[in-house]
Amino acid sequence: MATLTDPGGIAGTVKPRIVRQYNFAQTVPALALILLFFVLPVLALLLRSVLEPQPGFGNYAALLGSTTYLKIFLNTFVVSALVTAVSLAIGFPVAWALAIMPSRLSSVVFAILLLSMWTNLLTRTYAWMVLLQRTGVINKTLMGLGLIDQPLPLVNNLVGVTIGMTYIMLPFIILPLYGVIRRIDPAILQAAALCGATRFQALTRILIPLAAPGMVSGALMVFVMSLGYFVTPALLGGTANMMLAELIAQFVQSLVNWGMGGAAALILLVVTLTLYAVQLRLFGPARMGGH
Amino acid sequence: MKNITIIAALAATLGLSTAASAAELVFTSWGGTTQDVQKAAWADKFTEKTGTAVVQDGPTDYGKIKAMVEAAGVTWDVVDVEGDYAVQAGKAGLLEKLDFSVIDKTKLDPRFVTDYSVGSFYYSFVIGCNKDAVSACPKTWADLFDTAKFPGKRTFYKWSAPGVIEAALLADGVAADKLYPLDLDRAFKKLDTIKADIVWWSGGAQSQQLLASAEAPFGSFWNGRLTALAATGVTVETSWDQNITAADALVVPKGAKNKDEAMKFIALATSAEAQAEMAKGTGYAPINVGSPALMDADVAKTLPDQQTASQVNADMGYWAENRDAIGERWYAWQAK
Repeated sequence: MATLTDPGGIAGTVKPRIVRQYNFAQTVPALALILLFFVLPVLALLLRSVLEPQPGFGNYAALLGSTTYLKIFLNTFVVSALVTAVSLAIGFPVAWALAIMPSRLSSVVFAILLLSMWTNLLTRTYAWMVLLQRTGVINKTLMGLGLIDQPLPLVNNLVGVTIGMTYIMLPFIILPLYGVIRRIDPAILQAAALCGATRFQALTRILIPLAAPGMVSGALMVFVMSLGYFVTPALLGGTANMMLAELIAQFVQSLVNWGMGGAAALILLVVTLTLYAVQLRLFGPARMGGH
Repeated sequence: MKNITIIAALAATLGLSTAASAAELVFTSWGGTTQDVQKAAWADKFTEKTGTAVVQDGPTDYGKIKAMVEAAGVTWDVVDVEGDYAVQAGKAGLLEKLDFSVIDKTKLDPRFVTDYSVGSFYYSFVIGCNKDAVSACPKTWADLFDTAKFPGKRTFYKWSAPGVIEAALLADGVAADKLYPLDLDRAFKKLDTIKADIVWWSGGAQSQQLLASAEAPFGSFWNGRLTALAATGVTVETSWDQNITAADALVVPKGAKNKDEAMKFIALATSAEAQAEMAKGTGYAPINVGSPALMDADVAKTLPDQQTASQVNADMGYWAENRDAIGERWYAWQAK
């Protein structure tokens, strides 16, 4: 909703009033749909969090007062942060390579990236399970080569969740980063080299600062998406790595305790919206999605 | 699968249904091979007999049942649920009373009959072991909880449900007839001793994958899944020692649109023939006492209803009463 009020974003560049009215009229059906089928049901669930089983904030007190649930909150943030960091570390070189590659080659890499995004999430997650388990391909190969004696614990723990989620999140960080890096004038890097900068200096003092907006925006997007992730942590993590979305599903589906489910959902929603607001503040709607 | 169901449902509401009769019924279960057999053994037969089309939906979701009943928009007519949930939901007013003038309960195992539900099939949690992967297989629950004698990962059912807590208490030496009320403190203390070695399975297919790949060379399984796995060529050893039975139940959510048809469907599904077909296809036991006579003796003897020597019946009444409290504690313990 915040994207509608556009303080000096794209609307500022064209005749603002006309553009705004035009946009709004066209979004009414979509907004009505979202209001009816998304916002109202979510509000109804959130209302339950203060009404069931008794009116009051008992659900919130129970959630925030229990070390188990706090551990799940903390774990959600730790996993999201870890996934974001690893995605950034892998995504940056890939985006850079894509930007400087000949376009014939880069279109192949893009196709690979997109193909992975279009493959069913469950299929991809199960594939990782088979690869990572103790009797899986990776461990068997490493043991066959004599590099390890005991299988490495790669799944049902934090490692498994991080690998699986990073794999899914990579396109979401590579695409915006690619957009930003593409726009950096190569002549600047040449100028740096001419002025005597080493390759490392060119990277840390030219490329990274110029790509920083793309990095932050991509990282925030990955972080926010990770916060609400469900399938991958449920399948690749152990129960000790439970994340918030899983807890909510448990409350709603298994325990049928919608009061607690609503409370946990509201907390997740508040955190997500706050981060989204930060992102909007920093980059404005025009910069979202790497354009 | 879900999309197909939605399209089917849409087609039906638009009057495009090709069934001879306009009537139809939605049957919801847990998916996988079990629902495939339920479709073949029950739904297809029902359509053949009555002309009423049966739409398959799934998986069963207790949150959805509650939402449908509260919103008075029930789209599921017959649902396969866990036995303890059936007892609890019946008391909570979420289910229709069954019409026993249509459903003949005289031949049904009374352990699985309530005002609101009848058994769907019943199964046992048994100890399964991949014989090719280990030198010795655990035979008792105590063995399965003994990480010194049987080192390695072991797999258990992830969700809060009858089975694992009972197994922990039996392993700790509690007598089978002294299990209830469950001593949760003692059970969790026992579970703590093997927690680091547990790999959880959340669905039948996953349990099979874990055992076949020897990711967890032994554990506690639904007996039918082991039968199915053995049929694929995996060397599975099943120990029925103190096998713990639990049952699924068939229920009709309150306000179901095709209540009368639903009763007829349940009547057919629990008949001796349909239950025998179901048991043959799944390896689970029939809840109709007339079914074993209709089955091959070879097949019948592999089912849980023949493994009564040391069998332990999970107390569905106790679980219905304490389902929520145990569930909260269970998930908190898992996440610790």
